Amino acid sequence: MELIITNLSKTYSNGVQALKDIELTIGTGMFGLLGPNGAGKSSLMRTLATLQEPDTGTIQLGDINVLTQKDEVRRVLGYLPQEFGVYPKVSAEVLLSHLAVLKGITNNKERKELVEALLHKTNLYDARKKNLGGYSGGMKQRFGIAQALLANPKLIIVDEPTAGLDPAERNRFLNLLSELGENTVVILSTHIVDDVKELCTKMAIINKGQVVHQGNPQAAIDAIQGKVWKKSIEKAELEDYKQKFSVISERLLAGKPEIHVLADASPDSTFESVEADLEDVYFSYIIGTATPSQEPVLA
Amino acid sequence: MWYQIFKFELHYRKARPATYIYFAILFLLSFLAISTDAVQIGGGAGLVKENAPATIATMMGIMSAFFMMITSAIMGVAVLRDFEHNTDSMMFVNPISKFEYLIGRFAGSFIVLLFVFSGMFFGFILGEFMPWRDADKLLAFNFWNYWQPFIVFVIPNLLFTGAIFFMIGALSRKMVVVYSSWIFIFIFYQVALILTREIDNQAIAALIDPFAITTMNFATQYWTVAEQNSQVVGLEGLVLQNRIIWLIVGLVIMIGGYFSFSFNVVRSSWFKSKTIKETKLVNTSIDVPKASTKYGLSTYVTQIATQTIFYFKQIFKSVPFQAMVLCGFSILILNSYFMGRVFGIYTYPTTYLMIEEIQGFNLFFLIILVSYAGELVWKERDAKIDLIYDAMPLLDFINLISKFFGLLLTYVTLLVSLIVLGVAIQTFKGYYNYEIGLYFSHLFSETLTFLVLFTILAFFIQVMVNHKFLGHALMVVFFLFSIVLEQWGVEHNLFQFGSAELGPYSDMNGYGHFVPGFSWYSLYWFGFATLLFAAAVIFSVRGSEAVMKIRWKVGQLRLTRPLAIFAISAFTVFLFSGFYIYYNTTVINDYNNSDDANAHLAKYEKSLKQYEFLPQPMIVAVNMKVDIYPSQRDYVAEGFYVVENPHEKPIEEVHIQLNPDKQFDYEYVRFDRDATIQENLEEFRYVVYDLKKPLNPGEEMKIEFKTMFTTNGIVEGGGSTGVVFNGTFFNSFDFPTIGYAKPLELQDDDDRKDNGLEPKVRQMERDDPRGLVIGALGDDSRGINFEIVISTEPDQIAIAPGYIQREWEENNRKYYHYKMDIPIENFYNIISARYEVERDVMIIKNDTLEKEIDLEIYYHKGHEYNLESMMKSMKHSFEYFSKNFSPYQYDQMRILEFPRYASFAQSFANTVPFSEAIGFMLKIEDEKDVDIAYYVTSHELAHQWWAHQVMSANVQGSTMIVESLSQYSALMVMKQEYPQEHMQEFLKEELNRYLRGRSREDKRENPLAKVENQQYIRYGKGAVIMYALQDYIGEDSVNAALRRYVRDWSDFDKNGRYSTTEDLLGYFREVTSDSLAYLIDDMFEKIVLFENKAEDALYEEKDNGKYEIELTVSTKKFEADSLGNTYELPLIDWVDIGVYGENEDGDDKLLYLKKHKMDQHEKTFMIEVEEEPSKAGIDPLIKLIDRNPDDNVKAASKKEAA
Repeated sequence: MELIITNLSKTYSNGVQALKDIELTIGTGMFGLLGPNGAGKSSLMRTLATLQEPDTGTIQLGDINVLTQKDEVRRVLGYLPQEFGVYPKVSAEVLLSHLAVLKGITNNKERKELVEALLHKTNLYDARKKNLGGYSGGMKQRFGIAQALLANPKLIIVDEPTAGLDPAERNRFLNLLSELGENTVVILSTHIVDDVKELCTKMAIINKGQVVHQGNPQAAIDAIQGKVWKKSIEKAELEDYKQKFSVISERLLAGKPEIHVLADASPDSTFESVEADLEDVYFSYIIGTATPSQEPVLA
Repeated sequence: MWYQIFKFELHYRKARPATYIYFAILFLLSFLAISTDAVQIGGGAGLVKENAPATIATMMGIMSAFFMMITSAIMGVAVLRDFEHNTDSMMFVNPISKFEYLIGRFAGSFIVLLFVFSGMFFGFILGEFMPWRDADKLLAFNFWNYWQPFIVFVIPNLLFTGAIFFMIGALSRKMVVVYSSWIFIFIFYQVALILTREIDNQAIAALIDPFAITTMNFATQYWTVAEQNSQVVGLEGLVLQNRIIWLIVGLVIMIGGYFSFSFNVVRSSWFKSKTIKETKLVNTSIDVPKASTKYGLSTYVTQIATQTIFYFKQIFKSVPFQAMVLCGFSILILNSYFMGRVFGIYTYPTTYLMIEEIQGFNLFFLIILVSYAGELVWKERDAKIDLIYDAMPLLDFINLISKFFGLLLTYVTLLVSLIVLGVAIQTFKGYYNYEIGLYFSHLFSETLTFLVLFTILAFFIQVMVNHKFLGHALMVVFFLFSIVLEQWGVEHNLFQFGSAELGPYSDMNGYGHFVPGFSWYSLYWFGFATLLFAAAVIFSVRGSEAVMKIRWKVGQLRLTRPLAIFAISAFTVFLFSGFYIYYNTTVINDYNNSDDANAHLAKYEKSLKQYEFLPQPMIVAVNMKVDIYPSQRDYVAEGFYVVENPHEKPIEEVHIQLNPDKQFDYEYVRFDRDATIQENLEEFRYVVYDLKKPLNPGEEMKIEFKTMFTTNGIVEGGGSTGVVFNGTFFNSFDFPTIGYAKPLELQDDDDRKDNGLEPKVRQMERDDPRGLVIGALGDDSRGINFEIVISTEPDQIAIAPGYIQREWEENNRKYYHYKMDIPIENFYNIISARYEVERDVMIIKNDTLEKEIDLEIYYHKGHEYNLESMMKSMKHSFEYFSKNFSPYQYDQMRILEFPRYASFAQSFANTVPFSEAIGFMLKIEDEKDVDIAYYVTSHELAHQWWAHQVMSANVQGSTMIVESLSQYSALMVMKQEYPQEHMQEFLKEELNRYLRGRSREDKRENPLAKVENQQYIRYGKGAVIMYALQDYIGEDSVNAALRRYVRDWSDFDKNGRYSTTEDLLGYFREVTSDSLAYLIDDMFEKIVLFENKAEDALYEEKDNGKYEIELTVSTKKFEADSLGNTYELPLIDWVDIGVYGENEDGDDKLLYLKKHKMDQHEKTFMIEVEEEPSKAGIDPLIKLIDRNPDDNVKAASKKEAA
């Protein structure tokens, strides 16, 4: 099964253009959708999850027209929204079972087994009788993935699932995701590069409502390998460097800014070569689209 | 530092739109309430001006109570806000003290609250100056009248409620708790209201009402029109006590709250749930089994069922819901204590009464409905789980319909609980005739229909406006709009959403003919509601976008074939049932809205009033055949009047007024001589006939007629309750009358003004010669010979005045032939019902003559409770009246029960129809209970003398003769049978009826002898005055006067006119000694009130073992004019002075009671009594009219040794 998105655009009633002419083809397996906050990831995710109407464009999931055959999509959909709440006074077991009915799992025995298994899988089994109001952020997120996995979905959409989780929780969560079937289209939207690096074989980078890159993460890294340079500078110099070089990232290291610069050759001897990683790829596209020229840095 | 916080609070609120919205709401509502009829809150009655000080105060009190929700919103969030926005830690680390923090926040919020409620103040004031207001109904503008109640009532109310909400918000840290808490304050207010119903509890109620509305009502309950128009409700007495109590309560709450409030972040709120500790990671690499999914009808059913149960549980688990149900149930239980109380007597807790009590819960249903329709529509979004839900493969309608079913299941559960509660209350009261079927047939038809219809409406509104609070507000606006629509004359139930009423239930007639109308209207509104539901399904928000354009775009996808078919069928049902109802109510029946009906009556008066005193023949005999068809609700009446010309000139034209109700048809009206129709005013059913040969003075003539009353289909408003399946009761006013019919005139002065008519003259002056020759029952006759044959269905008994001549069965119908041997008033009833009969016989001895009287009670099976009491009353009454007034003119008396569509008893010749609602179902068990069944029976029997033996002239004072004398007669009969306390209990209610009545007078108060049909005077004051009269001049003297009066005035021809109160008072004067002569004037010809008070009561034990009490009392005597302006009168009065002791049981016991002359304001008496006195005072039995009778008696205290 393949998810084909063509010509998808959306402008909100307040004038914000969230999606611009998105074209994507997503096959089975884990697909990473990377982008900064406000890039339009969630808009795209919600549109795929039948929760939002685009202005133009089509979305096709196998034989299903996602925009008109909403019910058919929902039957094969597992969706974990970016932010969601729970009924605080209902236990995980009850709510999951309830949601299973809504998914169409009406056989009591099957439903019970499924719910139990999912709770085991998400390590919520011991807390299954507890009210969801007492769950920590990570537990709640795992509950979210449990409900997304109900009814053997063909299309799984997880929107920013690791935001706000501590490292241990995040690992646990990524482990869960990594087990998702090969035959399923899984779309993971995130602004955390490592999520994609660790899980995805394909990815797209989206910024300001546009797809600025898509492909294999490793290939993207290979493409900039040897072109990323770093330098530790003084704070006061930062603006100056930004003017002169294409600075793709800056971070503090022991209180001093360390910048990464993208260049075919070492800008000067004070720069050190670094091993490029996905983050450099990501930033190179984000910065690129941020420049007035609208040109990727590596055009 | 607190000032900084205070300033910050003001600053913060200044920027909040809510502050201005609240202000606008109050401003607008107050403005509308005072300046238009559209919104009505409180308000005076009758002649009280629309801006009378007391009216303004009441309206302000009600508004400040009703808008407690605004108070809670403003005050509740003052502290809570910091927790909700998680700014608490930022706030609390600052170097401020708890005291400064709380005071600053409270003061700031309270100033904002005052600003918001000043909207009410300005709204009222502005409303006064609107040009469309009727200057006749306004006083000159007086700023003080607005300012005083705002200070005395509104501000303390706000302080008290504000303190509560502020502290609850600070301590609970949950808005929902704040909102719920106003329900408990509301309970408190309700309790005060319930308590007020009993006269004895009014003072307590006035104290415990936190909003002082009851207190105001109590303080002003006896205010005359003049007082209401001139005085503000002062800060004194109970009002002052009430204000102090509640301010102290507010203060205590503040102090308690201050100490409980913890000024740190860690302390969790009352309701915070604990975080779960997570267990170690276990092996999670297990296989998830595959579960099969199914989509189809069975899945939908399962999904709906699961969702329904889920929502149902969610509603039941929520705290506000539980609070509301608890509140509603408590009020129901409390109310049931006073259920069906009349004059301090209980009624049997029959199921229909229980159902009426349960309908008090409808208010809570409404609150639940409006709130939870909103809650459920927003359920997923409020929990932020909406995106997960919306992505579920659930058909679009399932979510909404499950929410609807969830509420429905809630209602059903509540209704069943209410039934259980009702049965429990009945059991507790010792009544075991549970009619479970009746409970269900009412609550699961009318109540549930109402709930379902309005729930769907609420869902529809919530979905369309897509804003929870706006949705709630729109529901309220919708209710107001329905009222406004009615004000505009759109009264037909086809335009009043959800109007399907089952009508009153009667044991005799069940729900009778109301069922078809109810069913059709239910169908009609269900059709409409279903359409709304379909629209809600289409437009409901699913997904993250709520813009209308997008909802419509998505909605089109939902408009599937089944939904379209569903909507079209609903529309068809709506259309066809609407058409059917329209056809029934307006085509085959007559429908007018009240404006049109009033205009028609006004036109009648304008066109025909000229004929009011036109000399017309009078009816001297009536001979009728009436066939009643109860199952069809039809009857046919055929017969003739014999009329006579009593005047001195020949009569050439005869005016016949046929019944204008369109359910009546006339086959013919004809004369036994040639007559032509000179004018036929079809629209009024008024026909003027020219007699070819005039009717000469003293000559008789026959008028024959045949009239058919038919009931077809559904009549708007339920239709007549005269002819019903079981319990038909109508009277002679159904039949043609002669000449202009004054009873058809438009009564209400406001309506008259709207239609260009002068205010109604209630009655002619007492000496108006035109009135002196007309009896109180109308101008068509001065007595008739009466004969009638009635037929009815074979299982019913038909009854009319007269003695039964023959009774037979023919063509499967029962026939009854009645005839009276002496003339009766032209006022007769026709009754038919399935009856049980209780019979007895009594013998009245009059001198040497003995007369046997048949006594019969025709009652509905199961209503046997008070037959004995009624029978006893009949015997005692006839004995007393025959002995003291004159012999009884008939030799039979029949009491006939009729359905509770009306609650009165009425006296016809040898016949008393008696409503099932009064008397029959009273539960008289306690020795302290006043036996109202006994009393009413006696009162009605007294009318056989006062009305049927002596008729009064139709002038001012006529109803004193008819009603006040009957009150007196019944009181005297009761006095012989029951102890003194019963009389006092009864008279207290009558005094209350009088004093309250006069404060609501809409024209002018008349003295008793010139009463103009005012019930509070003829019954209330009449009873009190007549009882006092016999106390002062002696029962024997009063009876002697009445004996002479009957002797002289029972025959019209003897005096050539009917009698007036002037005649009657002459007889009273004859038997009154000179020293008491002033009494007759004071009691009957003036409006006199006393202000009696016990000032001091000190006693000491004497050496001889007796006690001497030094009693100081004061009295003032006032005369009031017709508007209630009072002037003090000089004192020449004899007043009771009394001393009480206690008997063994601790009850009061009169040790001394004697009349003393009070010729100065204050007097001190030394009285010696045998036993130790407990209390003493002036007029302790309240024989005189006193607006403040509670201070007449004072506890006696022992003198300190000097």
